[in-house]
Amino acid sequence: MKDKNELVLIVDDEPDMCWALEHMLKRNGFLSKRALNGQEAIRLMESNRFRVAFLDAKLPDIEGLELARRLRDIDPGIHIVMISGYFYRDDNDIQGAMSEGLIKGFIGKPFDHDEILKAIKL
Amino acid sequence: MAKVSNNVSPESYEKLYAMLLEAISSSVLLIDEDTRIISTNRNFLEKSRRSLSNTIGHQLKEVFPPIIFDHMDVKQSMLQVFEKNQPTRGKQMTYQVPGLPMRVYHYRILPFSRDGVVEYAMLLMDDVTEQVRLSEEVRGVERHLASVIESASDIVLSTDIEGRISTWNTAARKLSGYSFYEVKNHFLFEYCTSDHQEEVKKAFASMKTGKGSQMFELDLITKKGDSIQVSWVLSPMKDDSFQTVGIVAVGRDLTERRKFEAQLFQSQKLAALGVMGGGIAHEIRNPLAISSSAAQFLMDNTITQEFRKECAEKIQTGIKRASIIIENLLRFARPSEKGEIAQVDLIHLLKETLNLVKNQARIQKIETTSHFPKKPVLINGNGSLLQQVFMNLFLNAINAMPDGGKLNISAKIMASEVMVRIADTGHGISKLEVDKIFDPFYTTSPVGKGTGLGLSICYSIVKQHLGNIEAESIDGKGTTFIVRLPIL
Repeated sequence: MKDKNELVLIVDDEPDMCWALEHMLKRNGFLSKRALNGQEAIRLMESNRFRVAFLDAKLPDIEGLELARRLRDIDPGIHIVMISGYFYRDDNDIQGAMSEGLIKGFIGKPFDHDEILKAIKL
Repeated sequence: MAKVSNNVSPESYEKLYAMLLEAISSSVLLIDEDTRIISTNRNFLEKSRRSLSNTIGHQLKEVFPPIIFDHMDVKQSMLQVFEKNQPTRGKQMTYQVPGLPMRVYHYRILPFSRDGVVEYAMLLMDDVTEQVRLSEEVRGVERHLASVIESASDIVLSTDIEGRISTWNTAARKLSGYSFYEVKNHFLFEYCTSDHQEEVKKAFASMKTGKGSQMFELDLITKKGDSIQVSWVLSPMKDDSFQTVGIVAVGRDLTERRKFEAQLFQSQKLAALGVMGGGIAHEIRNPLAISSSAAQFLMDNTITQEFRKECAEKIQTGIKRASIIIENLLRFARPSEKGEIAQVDLIHLLKETLNLVKNQARIQKIETTSHFPKKPVLINGNGSLLQQVFMNLFLNAINAMPDGGKLNISAKIMASEVMVRIADTGHGISKLEVDKIFDPFYTTSPVGKGTGLGLSICYSIVKQHLGNIEAESIDGKGTTFIVRLPIL
């Protein structure tokens, strides 16, 4: 079990989506910060130390996979999970990013809360 | 006959008449009451291949073959000429000298009288073989032309210069139910729906002023009262001195074509839905995920009343969002019914269509902006087809910007029409291609990506709405599509 005080980064341009993830994490003892776009996410990365990041695939200013690369450049140890309604797990882009190790997991929308918790604990 | 001056002697007259007689291309025979030949001219001798000596003094019966002689009914004619001193009516006969082609003669017998007494009869025969052949040829050509027009499955009619119907073919009769005598001297516009009459009048009037061909579509009202969509081409009919003397109108029944087009439009629409697929999935799965999450919170008994309420609200909002997207999609996917013409607020339609593609634009990092008049812009049309036009144009614009860009949509009222501009900042279209983009099956998309039908369908729908569509493009800088539609 990881230290529950470790921060989780939530990046989704949908505020209600952030709302759901924040509540779910909080109820399970995790702290989180939200970013509605890539720029905000990078800014948060520069001033915080996150262990896990949940990224949406389509953001207004950047592709989710591209943002994953940027975040990894800032902190190579970050554990990135993609949560998307655009891609499916077996899409080539996702399969490629997983085998490359760019993302550690993929969760399709809609999801069970257990899936998210499992992904954090990996 | 021309008067000969007084200082000419009787001998000269005789010589002159003899010369004339020899020179004319008619056969002349002078016959006495017993049908004996008194005199003849060179033309007759040549035609009948006889000599003067075996003609003069012989009976007409001996000179002409018996069949011809009987046919000419010489006895009756001679009686009329000698007793009544009256010429016979001109008649026609065919005459064939063995070994020569058949000839056709026109003949008359005239009395030659002195002091009221008929002395001789003059038989005048003209060889009209060539004239008869020519007129038969002309009649043959006429018959052929008439049967071409009569056999055509398109309406072919002609009018005088004012537009009054002067001919009407079988197809016109069959389609309209009106016989030629019912429409003769009537105007074509009398058989059109009232909203098309002005247009037809204008088209005919412009023919009068020497304009070239005119094309338009209009509904023809049949005798039964049904209306048939017909596409017309008017062309001026000119005489030898290039004066317009009438108008030819060719009309084609569009019923079958419309049926085919409706199928084509529908399949293209479904193809457009496929293009939007990614955007739609993303758009629906977000509210689903939020609702699902909120529902999972609700299953936990330990949550506060306040949070419970919040979750219920999130679920409600999410479901509403998803159902709006589905509703819009279904409305777009629904086949458009034929003849579903109504007043449409183009601005509302543009906004609704833009909403459908906005998400697709967003996930491609395309910034959409729009400039619309504040008030509704009403036009007459089929809302579903018009939405298809704009959906196609929007998706085209989005597809032209795979790496993001700007999509600007604006509508502006210009006199009697509304001008919609769809401008993208995509890869543009080269000058060579711009002329071809409205052709069916023309596509620059890779195989399997585009059908090449989208723009040709846009073109056809806009034309059906009496509008116009064109594209301006700068290679590498972007494309602007301009759609003009008449407003109410």
